[in-house]
Parts: sequence; C-alpha cells; structure tokens
Amino acid sequence: MRPGLVFLVSRATAELAGLKELTTEHRRLGEIIEMIHTASLIHDDVLDESDMRRGKETVHELFGTRVAVLAGDFMFAQASWYLANLENLEVIKLISQVIKDFASGEIKQASSLFDCDVTLDDYLPKSYYKTASLVAASTKGAAIFSRVQTDVTEQMYEFGKNLGLSFQVVDDILDFTQSSEQLGKPAGSDLAKGNLTAPVIFALEKVPRLREIIESEFCEEGSLEEAIELVREGGGIRRAQELAREKADDALKNLQCLPQSGFRSALEQMVMFNLERID
Amino acid sequence: MMMSCRNIELGGTSVLDLMPCGCSCSSSPTSRRILFGNRSKTIGRRSYGAGNMVFLRRDSGSCRAIPAKPKESSLVNGLGEDKTVMINLRQEPRKPISLENLFEVVADDLQSLNDNLLSIVGAENPVLTSAAEQIFSAGGKRMRPGLVFLVSQATADLAGLKELTVEHRRLAEIIEMIHTASLIHDDVLDESDMRRGKETVHELFGTRVAVLAGDFMFAQASWYLANLENLEVIKLISQVIKDFASGEIKQASSLFDFDVKLDDYLLKSYYKTASLVAASTKGAAIFSRVESEVAEQMYQFGKNLGLSFQVVDDILDFTQSSEQLGKPAANDLAKGNITAPVIFALENEPRLREIIESEFCEPGSLEEAIEMVRSGGGIKRAQELAKEKAELALKNLDCLPRSGFRSALEDMVMFNLERID
Repeated sequence: MRPGLVFLVSRATAELAGLKELTTEHRRLGEIIEMIHTASLIHDDVLDESDMRRGKETVHELFGTRVAVLAGDFMFAQASWYLANLENLEVIKLISQVIKDFASGEIKQASSLFDCDVTLDDYLPKSYYKTASLVAASTKGAAIFSRVQTDVTEQMYEFGKNLGLSFQVVDDILDFTQSSEQLGKPAGSDLAKGNLTAPVIFALEKVPRLREIIESEFCEEGSLEEAIELVREGGGIRRAQELAREKADDALKNLQCLPQSGFRSALEQMVMFNLERID
Repeated sequence: MMMSCRNIELGGTSVLDLMPCGCSCSSSPTSRRILFGNRSKTIGRRSYGAGNMVFLRRDSGSCRAIPAKPKESSLVNGLGEDKTVMINLRQEPRKPISLENLFEVVADDLQSLNDNLLSIVGAENPVLTSAAEQIFSAGGKRMRPGLVFLVSQATADLAGLKELTVEHRRLAEIIEMIHTASLIHDDVLDESDMRRGKETVHELFGTRVAVLAGDFMFAQASWYLANLENLEVIKLISQVIKDFASGEIKQASSLFDFDVKLDDYLLKSYYKTASLVAASTKGAAIFSRVESEVAEQMYQFGKNLGLSFQVVDDILDFTQSSEQLGKPAANDLAKGNITAPVIFALENEPRLREIIESEFCEPGSLEEAIEMVRSGGGIKRAQELAKEKAELALKNLDCLPRSGFRSALEDMVMFNLERID
C-alpha cells in the first residue's frame, strides 16, 4: 500500500511540475518505504510476541528471535543507506523522523498497556507515530521528488497523515469486528495485550464495568469476550467509525490542490477503500 | 627528577636539551634508561614495539611517566627520531597507558557526552532509562567518542579552529549511541548474558526491552545524524550501520566454518568494528573542515586502529580469564566464531580442525582447542597482525601537526597493544 501511494502521488503531482515519468528517486523512495515498513513489522512481532501475521507465521516464530532481530536490523540499515544516497537532505530528515517516531510509538504503546486513563489525545499521537508518520513521509517524499511547490508537498503530507490515521482507526475497529480467519491473527488481540485503541477508549467513557475487566488484565475466563461485547454496546465501534470517516474527509480535502486525473481519482478511491473495510 | 632528552611539544627546540620537569619525583637508578621502540622489524622512520614507549605527558601539569617493560636498551633509529622520549627516573611502580590518562585532555567533553546520552535515551521512558544506565554505566570506555574528540582537536589546528564545534560533539554522541545500540542487539543475537561484568540488557530486562532500546538508540542516532545536515557524514555513518548488519550476518553464517580465511576475518572485523572507528575519525576530520587527503588519512587511521583493536580483543578472548573479560573466556571459539588466533593455528594443527568440527561436543574439547591455538602459534601470529595494523595506524597520523592530541592518538594505538603484552 505504501509504495503504491508513493507511485500514485508521484504521478498525480508530476503533472503539476511537468514531469513525464517517475524518476529513479521516486522508485527508490518506494523501496525504502517498504523496507522500513517491513522491518518494523518484523520487530513489532518480536516485541508483541505475535506468532501470526497475515495468516502466516511471523518471522521470529519460524526462524527465531535472533533471525528476526537481524533481518529487521539489516532492512533498516539498507533503507538508511539507500536514503542517504538519495542525497536529498529534506527527504533524509523526513524519513529519519519516521524511524524515530516508530521507536517512540512502540515505547508509548509498551508503557501504557492496560492503562485505562489513556485518552484520544494519547491514542492519536501513538497512531501517528506507529502508522501515519510513515504514510505522511511517503506522500510528502513523493511530492518533493516531483519538485512541486511547498504548499503542495505540505498538502500531500497532511493527506498521508489523515489517510494513515484513518487507516489505523479502521485496523483497530477490525480487530474487534473480524474473525481470526479474516484477520490472519487472533481476534481481539490488541485488547488482549492491553493495547487500548479507539473503540475501547470511546466505550470506556460509557461503560464503567469495562474498566474493571481491563484492569484485571482478563485474568478471568471469558472476560475478554465480555469486554469485546461491552465495547460494542458502549458505542465504541460506532464512534470509532465516525472518527475514521472524519479523518478520511480531511484526507479528501487535502487532495484538492491536485489537478484532476486518473491518479488523483485513485488516491480518492484509496481513502474510500479504507472506509469500505468497515461498512 | 625527570630528564628529557628530546624536544617536547610543549617547549624546547633544540635536540638533546636536558630539561628538568620541575616535579618532585625521586630518581631511581633502576629506571634510569632510555627506551626506544625496539623491534626486529623497522618500518620506515619509526619503529615501535608494543609497550616499549616511555612517554612523559605534561598536558595536565603533572609528570606521569608511562614506563615500558624492560627490553634491550638498544637505540634503534638513534636520536634522529623526531619523537619525544623521556627518561623515567621515578621510583613509582610501572603504570601502563590508561585510557583515563589518555583522555584526560578531553575529559570534560566526555563528561558532557555521558550526561547528554543518558538524558537523550532516558527522556523517553523510565524503562529505557534503566536499560540505558545498565549499559552506559557498565564500564564503557568511551573510546570512540574519545577518538572523535582527540581527532577533532588534533585536526583543528590544521584548519585554524579554536574549539570543538557543536557538530563534533553531536558526532561523538551519535557514534556512541550507534555503538551501544549495536552492543545491545549483539548480545541478543549472541544470547550473551554478561558484558563488562554486568548482566546484559536482555538478560535483565528481557528480549523485548533490548530490541526496543536498541531500535530507539539507532533511531535517535539516525535522526541526529540527519539533522547535522552534512551529506558526506550522513553517507559515511549510514554505511557503518549497513556494515554492522552485514558483519553480523557474515559472522552468523560462518560459525564453525574453518575454511574461513584471514581476508574473510579482516573483512568481518572491518564491518563489525573498524568501520565505525574509521567513520568516527573521518567524521571528526570532516567537521574540522580539513582537506580531503587529511580526512582520508584519518579514515585509514581509524580503520587500522579498529582492526588492531579487534585483533587484540580476539587474542584476549583466549588469554584472559572470565573475571578479567567480564564474560566467559574463549566465548568466541565456543560459539564457533573463528577469529585470527584460530585461523593461524588451523594452518598448523589439523587436530584443531577436528575438534572445532565436532562443535566441542566432548567435555574438555574446548580447553584442548584453546591449548592447540596457543601451541599452534595462533596467539603469536595474531599479535604480529595486531602490531602490523598498529604500525599502519601510526603512519596515518604523520599528516597531523605535533600536539598533545596527536600524541594521545599515538598513545591510543600503543595502549591497545599493551593489552596483549
């Protein structure tokens, strides 16, 4: 998805700058982004002790923690090297910020597990660090290499950020609403691990019992299932859907600076595709 | 009383000046000797033997002789040597070069570095602070930042710089963060539970915290690096991070592989150790804004010093006890990591190959292997290799003007070799 975004934004902005084709830099940026994303997934699975991802065993489940750490480190290192050799300071700083944000996001999440006082204002930055930051850097980076004006690159940054946040909220909703087969990993796994996401945060405002269960860290049989049910009843899913739509609307607005084209439409569709996952 | 019979960089311009140092040291007939480097092999104008140097450094206003082991007091290269040599007339017990003394000229800079590192890493989260303290306080020598500061100062003269710049300091912090992050991850990869006599981060806090702490430090270092906004240094350091990963992979995939040659070993040692040192010294020179030939010489200096350092480390793994090492002895060999002493010994001892091939399944086989490495001349030849790289490193310093800082860099090369005397 991320490289796809890089290529779409590259082409959608290329017109504004009179570019005919994707440049080597665009392509390399797409590769760098995907390497960083993949490396972070490999390490995240070590950190979360997850054994399934996308229906398959995680790298560390299959090959061991050592290989997973090494593979992630190698990919981060390769990405950093390619990034440096793009020789564009603005993009180098942009992507370095992302790598720093990833680490910060993981730490924030790790240190607030089972913390029922977490608010939307904690959740949104954490989601930014973990997801939206990379998407925003992808879209802005693509615009930078298209050599468009700063206000356009800024709009592309905001587009990526809003799309990324919308995407994360949808992911968090699906963790409640989909089955394990659909998810490719155990359902309710965020909640089970104490990672309190948007649906839970909203429901906690309405359902005091939910707080108790979470604080018990699901020690009792059936308490996780009860909690999931309470999140639904407490309107958590519904309000999270609204949040996802709100961010999606913001993302669509950010596209207005682009000329109409098949590429711009594709970007709009990407926003809608994301929302359709929760219809 | 101390007698100096050469020029000192701090004063005196004529050869064979005898200068009292003015401190209240007592003289001793037993230590009244002139010791020059004494080697069977003379390299160019210089000949340095490990531990044969006697230095009197007056940078801090005190006279500390760093006496050498007694060797034949032949004057190799005579007095044409443009090098400060002091006669040690003191009666105090011999002291080897210590990093502490060596870095005294940059002690304040290193202290600030320490404080900054703890606050950068600790600011984010208390668990990281604990992990950071565990690794930062575990006797780290701060050799790499020390090198950055020394090279910065030593090259500053050439470029007319008065002081260390912010960039120099930041470079040192970045280097130390990268080094520390790699140690934390290495310990996870090697499944080591001790480092420098303390538990490793992952032993104490778990694999998750160790992976996270390492990732965080790499990330912070990359971010600070990017914000230095110097493309040459950014590329230099990014290459190092890539080399680290390559080195780990090379090592992991050649465990217990006795066909490994010296070239493979040197390349792996370059990736794992020398690459970062070389980037530290070259980066420092870049920020001193010296000419590129000097920056290149600083790169080579760092590389040769780094290789010498790694070879010495690999020798010590055989020759030191667990207490001295702060981790189990002969760790490398036990894990199948074939280093210089083993590579050399394997040329002479076919039995060694068998034992390693067996992956030490029989009790006592590791001890037998260690003994064969010694008897096969592995230690001796590795020592020669370390000295060879050290000599190259010293040559690389020729382009620098004489100063206390340049001497400290030379001392650093010698300090490393003294570890295997």
